Amino acid sequence: MSEPLVRILQVEKSFRTRSEWRWPRMFGGKKTSLASHVYAINNVSLEIERGETLCVVGETGCGKSTLARLLMGLAQPDAGVIEYQGQRIDQLNDKQRMRYRKKMQMVFQNPYASLNPRMTVYQILREAIVLHHRDWDRHQVDLFIAELLQSVGLSKDAEDRYPHEFSGGQRQRISLARALSVEPELIVADEPLAALDVSVQAQVLNLMMDKQQELGLTYLFITHDLAVVEHFATRVAVMYLGRVCEVAIRETLFKAPKHPYTQALLSSIPRLDNLTLEPIHLSGEVPTPLEKPVGCSFCGRCPLANQRCYEQIPMLELQADGSQVACHAVAEGRSWK
Amino acid sequence: MSLLSVNGLSVKFKRRNGDLTALHEVSFSLDRGERLAIVGESGAGKSILGYALVNLLSKPGYIAAGSVQLAGQELTQLNAKQWQGVRGKRIAMIFQDPMITLNPVLSIGDQMVEAIRSHTRIAYKDARKLAIEKLAHVRIAAPVQRFDQYPHELSGGMRQRVIIAIALLLNPEIIIADEPTTALDVTIQAEILQLLKQICLDNGVALILITHDFGVVSRIAERTLVMYAGRIVEQGPTLEIINDPQHPYTQGLLNALPQMALPGQRLNQIQGSMPPLSEHPGGCAFHPRCPYAQDKCREKVPGFVYSGVSTVACYVVEDMLAEFAQYDEEDLDV
Repeated sequence: MSEPLVRILQVEKSFRTRSEWRWPRMFGGKKTSLASHVYAINNVSLEIERGETLCVVGETGCGKSTLARLLMGLAQPDAGVIEYQGQRIDQLNDKQRMRYRKKMQMVFQNPYASLNPRMTVYQILREAIVLHHRDWDRHQVDLFIAELLQSVGLSKDAEDRYPHEFSGGQRQRISLARALSVEPELIVADEPLAALDVSVQAQVLNLMMDKQQELGLTYLFITHDLAVVEHFATRVAVMYLGRVCEVAIRETLFKAPKHPYTQALLSSIPRLDNLTLEPIHLSGEVPTPLEKPVGCSFCGRCPLANQRCYEQIPMLELQADGSQVACHAVAEGRSWK
Repeated sequence: MSLLSVNGLSVKFKRRNGDLTALHEVSFSLDRGERLAIVGESGAGKSILGYALVNLLSKPGYIAAGSVQLAGQELTQLNAKQWQGVRGKRIAMIFQDPMITLNPVLSIGDQMVEAIRSHTRIAYKDARKLAIEKLAHVRIAAPVQRFDQYPHELSGGMRQRVIIAIALLLNPEIIIADEPTTALDVTIQAEILQLLKQICLDNGVALILITHDFGVVSRIAERTLVMYAGRIVEQGPTLEIINDPQHPYTQGLLNALPQMALPGQRLNQIQGSMPPLSEHPGGCAFHPRCPYAQDKCREKVPGFVYSGVSTVACYVVEDMLAEFAQYDEEDLDV
C-alpha cells in the first residue's frame, strides 16, 4: 500500500486540571490544591489515506475533538508521533507549521462562534489567502474570492456582508469556503453539522461531497451522528474514552460490527428503515477520564466483560475481514449469550 | 372526549411596529394515554406551542386567539393562581437541558419535596417517601442515597431521569417533553426514550414529545404533527407519515435524512431554509422552497384535507385527491 497521507502513532494527550481554593479564615486560611489529569487520548494510532473520508465517531468526552486538535497542531501531544506524508508535524513551531497549514484546514462545529462577527465575508476569506499567497495582487485575490463564494453556493453580494446576516447553513458554507481558500489537501471537520437543521445538514453534506469529488480532498470527519457516518464515510474509527476500539471500512462496520460498544452504538440509532430493532441497553454511563484505566475502558458497561478485561488493555488487532478491533471478547470468540 | 383539545391557537410576539405571529391557528387534540410527537426544524414554533399550552410564554409573547381545553376546562382564561392547580400537577413539562432545569444549589430531594409540597398538603416524611419511590420508578439505582445528592454529582442521563421523576411526582395527565434527549448521547438517548415510553404505558399518561428527529419519533410516538413556520402542515399516525409522507415539506425532511440515500450518493436536499419569524411568506409558508409550488400556493393558505394517510394542508395533495375522486366517479358511470 502507498504511503498514507497522515499517520498518527501511539499518541497520548492528557490535560492538567487543577482546582485550588483557600479555606475560610476560621478554618486556617490555608491553600489547598488538587491537581489531577484528564486522560483525553490514550495510545491512539490511526492512518488517513489520501482521498478518503475517515469518520471518527464516539460519545461526548471520548476524545474525538482532541484528536482533531492534535492533528491540526492546536494542541501538542504528550507522547507519540504524528506524520504528514512521512514528515513529523507534532513538534513544529509556528513558522514551520505554516507549510502544513496550507495543506490542512479545519471546519469547526459552531458556525456562530467560528466566524469573526466584525469582519465581512470578504475580509474573512482574504485573510487566509493573502497570508499564503503573498505574491498575488489585489485583482487576483478578488477574482479568487468571487470564484470561491460561487463554488460553495453563495452569491457574489455575500462578500460585503457580515456573518450575522447569514443563516447557520450559509455560515457553515462560509467556514468551508475559508477552509478551501488555501487549496488544502486535508480538511478536518469537527462536528460541522451539529448546529444545523436536518434539511440544511443535507445541503452542507452534499456540498462537502461535491468538493471532495472536484478537488480530491481528504476528510477527517468528526461526528456523533452515525446516520451521517453511514452515508459519508469511507472508513470509520469508533472511539471510546480516549481509545480507538474499532476501525473498519464503512460497509464492514455497519454490516458486521464486532466490538460490543460498536454493536450497542449502532443498535441505538433510531432508524426509520427498521422500526422493530430493539436497542441493546448498556448499563451505566461513560466513566470519567480522570483516572487512567487499568483494563479495557469499556469493561464497566460491557456485557461480555470477564476478569481479563479488567486487568489488561486490549490492543487493536486485525480481523479476518480487514477491520481492526480492540477487544478481548472478540479475540477470544466470546459472544452475546 | 379528548383530554386536551387545542383550537385555533395563535401566539404573537408584541413589537412596536406590528406584532409577529409565531403560531398561526394551530388545532389538534390529544387523547388520554396517547403519545403525540411534534416535529419540525428550529423556528417552526414547536417549542412555542409547548410553552403556550402551559402558559409559560415569556413577556413579549402572548396568546392572541384560540382556546386550549383540558378535559373541558378552558386554560387560556385562567389566572396565575388557578394555573398552579394545572401546571406541574395535571400537565408536567420536561425541558431540553437537564443541566439548566435542576437547581444546582438544592439537593435533588429538596427539589422533589418542594414540588410535592407546593401542590399538596403532605408531611415532609411522606413527601420524601413518595420522591424516593418515584426515583426508583425511573430506575435510578440507590434512590435513598441519590435523594440527598446534588445535580452536579449526577451524569446527564441520570439528571434527565430525575427530571422525569419530578414530572411524575403528582401523577400528571399530560407530560410535555421538549427535546428531552437532544443533550444526551445516543446510547443514553435510547434508554431515556424507552423509559418515557414505559412510563406512559404504565401510568396511562399522555405524552407530547417535541423534537426535530424523526428517528426519535419513530421509537416512541403513535401520532405525529409536522410543523413548518408556525403552522401544522401534516398530522397523522407516525408509521404512516414516515412510510408515506404527503406534504412536500415532510417528504423533503424525511428524504434529507442520510439513511434515505444510498451511501456515497448525494442527499436529497430541500433548497433554502426556514424563514425567520418576521418574514413568513403569504399563502402556504413552504411555497418558496416547494418543488410543486403553484400560483394559488402563493396566495392563500391551504386548508386541511384527509389524504387517506394523514391530514395535510397542501394544494397539491388536494388537487391530486380531487383528480382521484373524478376518476372514481367515471369508473362508476361505466
